[in-house]
Amino acid sequence: MDIPMSFYLLVSFVMFFAGVFGFITRKNMIAMLMSLELILNSVNINFVVFNRFLFPEQMEGMFFTLFIIGVAAAETAVAIAIIINVFRSVNNISADDIQKMKY
Amino acid sequence: MNDLVQLMRPEMLLLAQVVFLLLFDLFAPDRARRHTDAVACALFLASIAVGFLPSTTGEAFGGMFTVTAMTQVVKNVLSIGLLLVFLQSRVWLSDERTSFKKAEFYILTLSTLLGMNLMISAGHFLLFYLGLELASLPLTTLVAYNKYSDESIEAGAKFVLIAAFSSGMMLFGISLFYGAAGADGLYFDVLSSRLAATPLQLLALVFFLSGVAFKISLVPFHLWTADVYQGAPTSVTAFLSVVSKGAAVFALMFLSFRLFAPLFEYWQYVVWALVVLTITIGNLFAMRQDNMKRFLAFSSISQAGYILLGMIAGTPLAMSSVVYYLLVYLVSNLGIFAVVSILENNSGKVHISDYRGLYRTNPYLSVVLMLFLFSLGGIPPFAGFFSKFFVFMAAADQGFYVLDFIALINTVISLYYYLLVVKAMFIADSENPIPTLHTDSWSRLCLTLCLVGTLFFGVFSGIYAFLSSGAWGL
Amino acid sequence: MDIASITASQVIFFILAAVILAGSVMTVVSRKLLHAAVYLLFVLLATAGIYFLLNYHFLAAVQISVYIGGILVLLVFSIYLTSQVGEKMDEPGIVKKTVTMLISMGGAVFCFWVLCTGQFPYADQIHLNEIDMHAIGQSLLGTERYQYLLPFEAISVLLLACIIGGILIATGNTKKED
Repeated sequence: MDIPMSFYLLVSFVMFFAGVFGFITRKNMIAMLMSLELILNSVNINFVVFNRFLFPEQMEGMFFTLFIIGVAAAETAVAIAIIINVFRSVNNISADDIQKMKY
Repeated sequence: MNDLVQLMRPEMLLLAQVVFLLLFDLFAPDRARRHTDAVACALFLASIAVGFLPSTTGEAFGGMFTVTAMTQVVKNVLSIGLLLVFLQSRVWLSDERTSFKKAEFYILTLSTLLGMNLMISAGHFLLFYLGLELASLPLTTLVAYNKYSDESIEAGAKFVLIAAFSSGMMLFGISLFYGAAGADGLYFDVLSSRLAATPLQLLALVFFLSGVAFKISLVPFHLWTADVYQGAPTSVTAFLSVVSKGAAVFALMFLSFRLFAPLFEYWQYVVWALVVLTITIGNLFAMRQDNMKRFLAFSSISQAGYILLGMIAGTPLAMSSVVYYLLVYLVSNLGIFAVVSILENNSGKVHISDYRGLYRTNPYLSVVLMLFLFSLGGIPPFAGFFSKFFVFMAAADQGFYVLDFIALINTVISLYYYLLVVKAMFIADSENPIPTLHTDSWSRLCLTLCLVGTLFFGVFSGIYAFLSSGAWGL
Repeated sequence: MDIASITASQVIFFILAAVILAGSVMTVVSRKLLHAAVYLLFVLLATAGIYFLLNYHFLAAVQISVYIGGILVLLVFSIYLTSQVGEKMDEPGIVKKTVTMLISMGGAVFCFWVLCTGQFPYADQIHLNEIDMHAIGQSLLGTERYQYLLPFEAISVLLLACIIGGILIATGNTKKED
């Protein structure tokens, strides 16, 4: 017996919502970035699993994943450049401490 | 091949400009590089002129890239917006703290515009996603452009995290669509015929829309807006609030028309709630602001609500009213930002309380600012009145009377806070008002263009007629 | 199912799933940043394992080289650069934490339930046909339907813009040097 598709998707859904949880509760920006990686990774698993189970003759989902990985790398690089700049200017990267700007 | 060049002309021109400016900045002698902004603006002006030449419509790349008459109009509108931003950003860029990285500003904004064009023409989710990322990632570095300012860097950090999070949400929605729609479901032309409001598809729609709503900063996804708008350099804020938001709105508009038409019933419920929340909360917060950029942030949130109001009807008429609304919003809001950035660059003041007595010292600037504010608020002779009118009509046409009524009340509220700024300039007195300023010729040109637009689009109804007759070859 | 019918791929799947589930939860709750990065490493590795299991070898290689070799290394560097290796991060407020946890758990359950209402053809069998590199290269550089030249160009412009943006952020006078 093969493992059904829903098992794979359960794993990726839990990963997605763990990422959402982390993004909201974390205060450290690098930790927020890690949560974002979880979110993107779970999306990747979704695409790959749907592709393999539902449309095994095509490669659409695989290519989408490939491009997401590429964009994620660029995104992380830019985010880290900015975060390190924040650190250099205020010596702290907690999202709470940088909130000089209030409503 | 020739066809492809015709179809992708705006994109190819933008790419050529990006590459040229990159090489120009690297290899041109110092004497020439001092005129980077003139070169960039001249090139961009030429490419806009080319954009108005008649062109073909059709598809390329197996349906991945679609061009219709309307996408061309929309791309031209966005390009004009960027040109106005270029004109008003020159003083800020000539500052000695930023002038050495002038070329990068042009390169990054142009590649952002390229991303927006791809997003608007996308016929496949992958291209849409890449366009969206290209339209937001370089922008985050521009938000953090002023390295001497802590606020700018912090705004950049916030913006990059939020942009990544929202595209994550959107991607999750796309991945569910992929599973729910059957083979080829990533192509819009296939997907639209497969949408049947199954629970999974609706879930996908919710995730997808919330990702896009972050980009347009609709309530309740707006929390980042004010901080980012305040911290970013003023010209970048202008770009964010007008061109970037406009592109996201246009993309959503084409999607709702091309793709989500079968889910329209559900879409309307969601949009109804979003419109009410966005307009009301944007207005309520705008009243409390003293910083002009935060004020404009909340005002632009509530304006986004009106734009969405046009989209709820979903008729071709409504779509043309949305394009018209955005065109008018573009000239009025960019005009306001031009004045704000002139004042900020010369005196460093961005608070509404600093504007007291501005009429005494800078009569022209304050009159012009007043006209733009009136247009944004929707006072009759100006274009803003007509654009609001058409949007309201489009919604009423489909029976959204209650929604129109709520929006109308909010228009009155918004008049109140726009008038607060006018009152500060004309009636209130101040011990030390902003001294009389010299406005440089580029900003003056920008202001003139915006003013002409604000007056002309209102009086001359041909624009709207053109848009509504526009071949909606969708 | 009885013990005898369990196949190797099932065992591998359950191990990978356990690593991913535990790892992703630990990534977002661990108090030490470097520990979180290590948990993330396990999640990413296990994801690559899932790609192998589903017979996407190329994707698994990309996952390992880009995600682990690129992104994770970048993250670890930035943790060291911002010198918070040993420090414990602040806990979020208990109310915020509980509410967010309830929302995200509810969200996961709800989404999964919605997913289970969907009707998927063939969702229980798996066709592990091989994807050869030739086909991948062909579709990456073709202009027909199911071919991806335009996105490929778009992402190359994106990477160029990000490089320029990154340089813009990294160079020049900061406030400290003024």
